[in-house]
Amino acid sequence: MTALIFTLKTQPKFTLDVSPLVPDNLEGKTLTKIKNLKLVYGKETVKVEELFAVKGKDSNQICIEKSCDKLIYVGQGMTKGTIEVKGDVGDFLGQGMKNGTLTVNGSAGSWTGNSMAGGRINIRGDASDYVGAGLPGDTFGMTNGLINIEGNAGDRVGDRMRRGIIIIQGKSGNYCGSRIHAGTIIALGKVGKHPGEGMRRGTIILAKKPAHISATFKSCGNLKMQFLRLLFTQLEGMDADFELFKKYGPIAHRFSGDLARNGKGEVLILQSLTPNK
Amino acid sequence: MKINGVHIDDTFAEAFPMKATRIIITAMNLKWAYRAANAIRGFASSVIACGIEADIERELKPSETPDGRPGISVMIFAMSTKDLEKHIPTRVGQSVMTTATTACYSGLDSDQKVSMGKSLRFFGDGFQISKVVNGKRFWRIPVMHGEFICEETTGITKAIGGGNFLVLAKTARHGLMACEKAVDEIQKVPGVITAFPGGVVGSGSKVGSKYDFLSASTNEAYCPTLKGQVKSELGDDIGSVLEIVIDGLDEESINEAMRVGIRAACSYGPSKGIYRISAGNYGGNLGPHLFHLRKLLK
Repeated sequence: MTALIFTLKTQPKFTLDVSPLVPDNLEGKTLTKIKNLKLVYGKETVKVEELFAVKGKDSNQICIEKSCDKLIYVGQGMTKGTIEVKGDVGDFLGQGMKNGTLTVNGSAGSWTGNSMAGGRINIRGDASDYVGAGLPGDTFGMTNGLINIEGNAGDRVGDRMRRGIIIIQGKSGNYCGSRIHAGTIIALGKVGKHPGEGMRRGTIILAKKPAHISATFKSCGNLKMQFLRLLFTQLEGMDADFELFKKYGPIAHRFSGDLARNGKGEVLILQSLTPNK
Repeated sequence: MKINGVHIDDTFAEAFPMKATRIIITAMNLKWAYRAANAIRGFASSVIACGIEADIERELKPSETPDGRPGISVMIFAMSTKDLEKHIPTRVGQSVMTTATTACYSGLDSDQKVSMGKSLRFFGDGFQISKVVNGKRFWRIPVMHGEFICEETTGITKAIGGGNFLVLAKTARHGLMACEKAVDEIQKVPGVITAFPGGVVGSGSKVGSKYDFLSASTNEAYCPTLKGQVKSELGDDIGSVLEIVIDGLDEESINEAMRVGIRAACSYGPSKGIYRISAGNYGGNLGPHLFHLRKLLK
């Protein structure tokens, strides 16, 4: 069956909430019904067909073409299937998603993976601030799943995350992994100041030395971490996106903290690019 | 029926249902993985007194293990899920976790699981860390050699225990030569183990005893020193009987293991002191799985 394709007719002037365009909501609906679905566009409500050309059949395999950063809530709450976006997306990509795969062939706005509880988000470009973080007032950020950003990420990646894995292949901003409760963040590019500020548990793996690490993190010295071996081997085996982990070895400089919060988390700064199995 | 001049008795081996799991032990190198594997399979020859039956299944290449290090797969059999629940955490804790540089993972995917790292994590005294990778939960337990990584649970499956055959020989020396070759061949069959030391049982048992407190006792019908004293199954030429007991994941794997094992033992023939092959059974009363020697050797 061919994928269900939504092609933007014109670039929207206002933010467009596309949260209804998920496999769970479109399953069993005819093309006509889908075209007549209502979307919130700025302060108004419009039909899908007014903004998108729709074709295809398979609601489990959705493609959004000619996307732009005005599209918000892409893949919100999805529990199955795949959504592929060609172009950029706005804020709240994959908010509350529980399963399935979301792929953006462009960049994403803030709050990617907010309240995410499962599934996988791939961003081929950059992501803005608060990836996998919780909204103000939320106890936790993402509680499970995997976010893979091939470009750069903004500030406060994984703020208050509870579980899951975030991989940033490019640069990360300041306060990466701030206040995390648990989970794993892997930053392969340069990282801004204060990684892990206020973290309670969890692991932040940095391939490069950060710009600054707080004094409330204590050095445990250089260690050969069995866990890194396991993690990299498992990621390598997942799919071709993660073959790059072949070049990373298990030796890391371990910092534990954040002691200001009586934290038992860890920042691991990789010391060697030799696999050294 | 004869194979290479060795008489095959018209009888059957009687096996019974068990529960099994497979664990993967990795270490810095194979030497240390073997040390842990040998420790976990120590005192695990028979459920009669050990609670479980365990043995090394095979060596694993780094590409076959979850952490990319060399490893060993060990299969563990018990009479019930409850027995596995009792013995897996204690054995992994005392035999694997105590071996330097090791890690322990599940080697069997199944909906039914027993706890492994889930119980052992408490050794971390609050410093243990849980990690979910690729849908599986692992526990990182800080230990003096670094970190002991253990998967939270290991899958269990239905299995069969007690597949067996008897090698009736001129002397123990002759019998052991044939049995060693048989065990070597059996070890090439996936999904089976021979849990007794060296894969060979020197003191095969019958069910029950004249003593009330004993559930198993010597199989006097096959004891050469009791010929003439009891209703013996042995002729004048037989001076030693050795048994090979096989546990496996399914009937087919045990069939195959018995087939290759018996053929290997028979390859020595009467000229090298191997006269008969028989099997242990209890009249079909013990277990539902019957392995007829002549049928499986056809």
